[in-house]
Amino acid sequence: MKKVQGAVHFVANNKLSFERGPSPVELYPTPADQLGHHKKVQPQPTMEEILPKLETPAMKARIADLLSRYPEAQGALLEVLWLVQEALGWVPREGIRYAAKVCGCSPAHAFGVATFYTMYKHAPTGRFLLQFCRNICCEQKGASNIIAYTEKALNIKTGETTPDGLFTILQVECLGACGFGPVMLVNDDFATNAKDGKLTMIPGETLTPEHVDNILRWCYAREKEFKNEPVRDALGGSVAGHLGHPGAPGASAVAQIFDYAPPSPVLGLKAVSKETGVVLTWKGAPEFTRLVVEREEGGSWKEIGEPSVKDKEFTDPNGRSGMNYRMIATSGDRVAKPSKEEKAV
Amino acid sequence: MAEKIKVCTGNFGKGAQDIAVYKKLGGYANISSRLFDLSQFEVIDLVQRSGLRGRGGAGFPTGLKWSFVPRNTGKPVYIVVNADEGEPGTFKDHFLMIEDPHRLIEGLIIAGWALGSRTAYIYVRGEFLPCIESLNKAISQAYAEGLLGKNIGGTKFSFDIFVHRGAGAYICGEETALINSLEGQKGQPRLKPPFPAVSGAWKSPTCVNNVETLMALPWIFQNSPEAYAALGTASAGGTKVFCVSGDVKRTGVYEAPLGTPVMELLTSSEYACGIDGTLKGVIPGGSSCPVLLPEECEKATLDYECMSCFKTMFGSGAVMPFNTTRDVVVLLNTLGNFYSHESCGQCTPCREGTGYAKRIINSILNGEGHDGDLELLLSLSDQYNGTTICPLAPALGAPMTAFIKKYRSEFEAYIEKNPNHGSPRICATYRPGAFW
Amino acid sequence: MPKLPTANSPKVAIFVDDKEVLVPGDTNLLEALKTVGIETPHICYHPYLPVSGNCRQCLVEQEGPRGRMLIIACFTPVTPGMKIYTPASSARVKNARQATSEFMLVNHPLDCPICDKAGECSLQENYMESAHQSRLRPEVGKQYHGNPDHTFVDSKGQVRGGKRVALGPRVTLDEERCVQCDRCVRFMRHVAKDEQLQLASRGDHTYITTFPGEKLDHEYDLCVTDICPVGALTANHFRFQQRTWLLSRTPSISMDDSLGANIWIDHNNGKIWRIMPRCNPEVNRSWLSNTSRLAYMGFTENRLASGDLNIVSDLLKHAKKVALVAGGACTLEDLAALKMLKDYLGDRASLFGGTLRPVLEADGISKSGDPLANRAGFKALGIPDNNLNDLMKHAADYDVLLTVHNDLFGDDEGAMILKKIPNRVILSAFNDETSKDATLVCGVNHWSEVTGSMINSLNILQKLSPAPTCPDAQLKPAYEVLSTLAGNPLTSAIAALQKVQEFVPALKPYSYENIRSTGVKLDGVLL
Repeated sequence: MKKVQGAVHFVANNKLSFERGPSPVELYPTPADQLGHHKKVQPQPTMEEILPKLETPAMKARIADLLSRYPEAQGALLEVLWLVQEALGWVPREGIRYAAKVCGCSPAHAFGVATFYTMYKHAPTGRFLLQFCRNICCEQKGASNIIAYTEKALNIKTGETTPDGLFTILQVECLGACGFGPVMLVNDDFATNAKDGKLTMIPGETLTPEHVDNILRWCYAREKEFKNEPVRDALGGSVAGHLGHPGAPGASAVAQIFDYAPPSPVLGLKAVSKETGVVLTWKGAPEFTRLVVEREEGGSWKEIGEPSVKDKEFTDPNGRSGMNYRMIATSGDRVAKPSKEEKAV
Repeated sequence: MAEKIKVCTGNFGKGAQDIAVYKKLGGYANISSRLFDLSQFEVIDLVQRSGLRGRGGAGFPTGLKWSFVPRNTGKPVYIVVNADEGEPGTFKDHFLMIEDPHRLIEGLIIAGWALGSRTAYIYVRGEFLPCIESLNKAISQAYAEGLLGKNIGGTKFSFDIFVHRGAGAYICGEETALINSLEGQKGQPRLKPPFPAVSGAWKSPTCVNNVETLMALPWIFQNSPEAYAALGTASAGGTKVFCVSGDVKRTGVYEAPLGTPVMELLTSSEYACGIDGTLKGVIPGGSSCPVLLPEECEKATLDYECMSCFKTMFGSGAVMPFNTTRDVVVLLNTLGNFYSHESCGQCTPCREGTGYAKRIINSILNGEGHDGDLELLLSLSDQYNGTTICPLAPALGAPMTAFIKKYRSEFEAYIEKNPNHGSPRICATYRPGAFW
Repeated sequence: MPKLPTANSPKVAIFVDDKEVLVPGDTNLLEALKTVGIETPHICYHPYLPVSGNCRQCLVEQEGPRGRMLIIACFTPVTPGMKIYTPASSARVKNARQATSEFMLVNHPLDCPICDKAGECSLQENYMESAHQSRLRPEVGKQYHGNPDHTFVDSKGQVRGGKRVALGPRVTLDEERCVQCDRCVRFMRHVAKDEQLQLASRGDHTYITTFPGEKLDHEYDLCVTDICPVGALTANHFRFQQRTWLLSRTPSISMDDSLGANIWIDHNNGKIWRIMPRCNPEVNRSWLSNTSRLAYMGFTENRLASGDLNIVSDLLKHAKKVALVAGGACTLEDLAALKMLKDYLGDRASLFGGTLRPVLEADGISKSGDPLANRAGFKALGIPDNNLNDLMKHAADYDVLLTVHNDLFGDDEGAMILKKIPNRVILSAFNDETSKDATLVCGVNHWSEVTGSMINSLNILQKLSPAPTCPDAQLKPAYEVLSTLAGNPLTSAIAALQKVQEFVPALKPYSYENIRSTGVKLDGVLL
């Protein structure tokens, strides 16, 4: 058995990779085990090497936009890490440090976050990252066969990258397209087939070896078409209207103006005639500060009582069945419209 | 008759991603015509009367949840949309967001009005980039039309929606974990109380709702809460979007009223068109729900009460039938892998226990099982119950128990493949008492 | 941070195992149960760290509207009338705690024989409480003690495996022992306010790490080794030195700072092996700075031998003008003896006191930043605590300088002007810069070797106890030497304390017996 040497050699997609002896109980590689380069120490670029790619004007503008979306800068940490991954293709250590600096948290915190979530890549992958779902629905429909087929077709194992740098295979947990299972993600797109130069996922079509071939062919064609994979906006594109905030910058920490909505009227008023008189019940709201009960007398409304806002019912001793009641609530200094009229029964 | 009503999926395939089409289909009508005349209390009352319950899995009444949020305290109120759909078997939100993003925005505006919120975040799981793109496009259009932003429709009401991309963690579907993730921390569930309604994101009142829950609101407004309540059962109103996957003729997203019999969903030509092969079992509400045997499915209806009668859960409406050719040990193994991989690593029973269970199941599948392993797994499942912050570990325990109890002979057949299955589960070189 | 019970906590009645008990009402259940003698096992809970509630070891049952539910005692506030069930009456609680203990051991190496934490490990304690009837069975590939093939270096089928990770210059991490309680993370984040540690990854692959490539390096980083409930974080200086159960513990006070951090001096066979913080809620809580902690390494080195007092006494007899200088590590007893000497010499002697080291800002953890540890004691006895500059200005007036525990020359070059004084008598434990330049030296006991008392910056009277670690049996405490010079030898600390009380009547009520281990607050008595 090999000795465990030192510590963390390398963290790939969440996986502490240390040298250890064979364990008879690990049947599948976990998704985290994968991302290639098993037991290989990942060389890390320095801050100077990555800064030119991170500190572009476009990037700065997007980061500023992201930071303005959250009441505290740290909220943007996940999104900034996405941007780093978009710019560099993966998230190197210094990229994490950069994100931490931007978001005002400690590098260790950002490292914890970046390794907690599985979609941040801690090592470069091939141009086409093929992620196969192997969870219950897809497994049931034969995901492992598809994965085995793809591994054979590309002549690599899960977690490895083809020598030409085009493909990396990963097995992941549920991708959220179970009805189409087995499914895969080609970079950021769901695919069960490729038709007419497009990746498709349409009902009734699941991944089969032929479809995998189609998808691989699509990838090769794309490689010929574009020299580099066109960068897909990792955050789905900036939103017109969001940039610089349609509201005030930092709208996110602001409370709604309190009187935007009309004051609440009394709801659910019920009037029941009993021996003691007419008993009124209603639904209280926490914002009520004053309640007034009115009774209709000869076509006009007359105030007959003022129950406390905490009361659940009010009895009108002079009431009889057939009389009309309504209630008017006040919230602060705003008087609501009267409640629905209710005839005592 | 009732089957025809589609609350959430009505606009599927009609190109409603575009705001013009959505408006033509009747969208945003509530916002301009009715909503701004109503008080917060009235909106919440309306939702309460509709009987709408949270569609994310737990089924908590939405109106009641909203009524917990303190109003007009001067603190910002955040609405967070839980679109971190990760439960295996569930894929409704994925397609709801792609096909009909404007309905979600409309629902959010209604919720924002009711809760006095100024800002909403849609937390979309990282794998759903197409959804994020669809949502971002829709939000841009809504801003351009003046439906979002400052002083909407000339009122004092301002509302912004931001899309937040997650990065791959099932546990972020738990609301406090989701809030942590939104704050840029690890997605680990928080201790409660305080509940998010009082102190959630950035210590402000926060309301976390599922995508489908919010998407039901426009219909409730357009029609009436009573009409919505009439669609469902006595205790829970409305329709539910079911995700049917697995061994049926036609998988997909189907909307059906609550209380629809399981077999109708699986065999009706309107829905899944029948089972592929012979039915062996159905997981009724997503992977964390205990499995139902075929004879139970005959009697079961899809609603909260009936499912708890059968000691399973309604969950998120993911119906996963499997036929007799499927190996339940393999299925349980995928669940073991999944839950041990997705455990956030906070509570001991879940962190260590799910991994332990996974390794035991792995070894059974590998032909290295031992007698007593099944009892061990059952006792593990017992020990998950109630001992953790969030229900992730019980979410493995419940289906594990059901699988083992209902298909025990298959597990035993696997264990018997091990020639030494009678020996205790210890290392071959271990010699008890060798040192002492 | 959890709210801890105080003497003023309101008492409320709760039901524990159906018996009514009175507990403090403003704290959590775990602390409340402790006050009535029910210990609840816990791993992640620490009274001076925010509650994280992740170990799930402190489960109890509470009667609620939905029946009896398992809750964690550390996070549940006490409410009047609550009904609690502990393992004494609830099999469910017993099972749940047992299960948690077992779960923790699933991926724990059980290498107690070579673990430095053995003897003070929470896992061991909890195991004795609940998990000794384990139901989990070893996994295939997992090797245990009793196995001749056990090599201590393989991963034993475990999921974590960084062994001997140099986390920083002073701390070593053995990842496979870690139980992910995140105490160290919370300490660095909330107490040290420098988040250098974080749990990375997730599930059972979670491991403690700094940012890759960076080292854990902080004035308080050794505190993480104290609060680590298992042997995952160990202090390099104590690694593989001693078994903890072979150590004797002497409670004392760290005399290098005026906060007077409470410490344990752990020693055996006359050697100090480590200094640990001793919990004092009002002073240093559970924390201790590296400076105070690692200072012990120099306690027995570079020491002075005892001098000939007759020469000193002769010198003093013929001196015209004597400067008596007290320094930082002087206890109240030393100061009283110095005062006796001053009285004995009469007008020929003047008292000086203070330190030439810079006074820094308080760090809010275990240091006030003031190196004159007994400054409040100086004030109480009326000894100047800040007039060394006067001495340096008028150095030429004196012909004898006598310093006690004050390394003037080592602290500040400016003090070299005192060399103008022809006769320099140094009473010190160490052969420091001042002693090297002295005309007469007289070795005395170090503060770790004496009984004594001091008043810290919070006006708390604290006592020092002697660790039997003095390298030279001839050495005497400074108060004994000084009082001998004054012609009235105080041969015991008790006598010296009585002398202190003569000078400061307000201290009369106190003796070494009734100064509590956490000290006595002198509010309204002094200052």
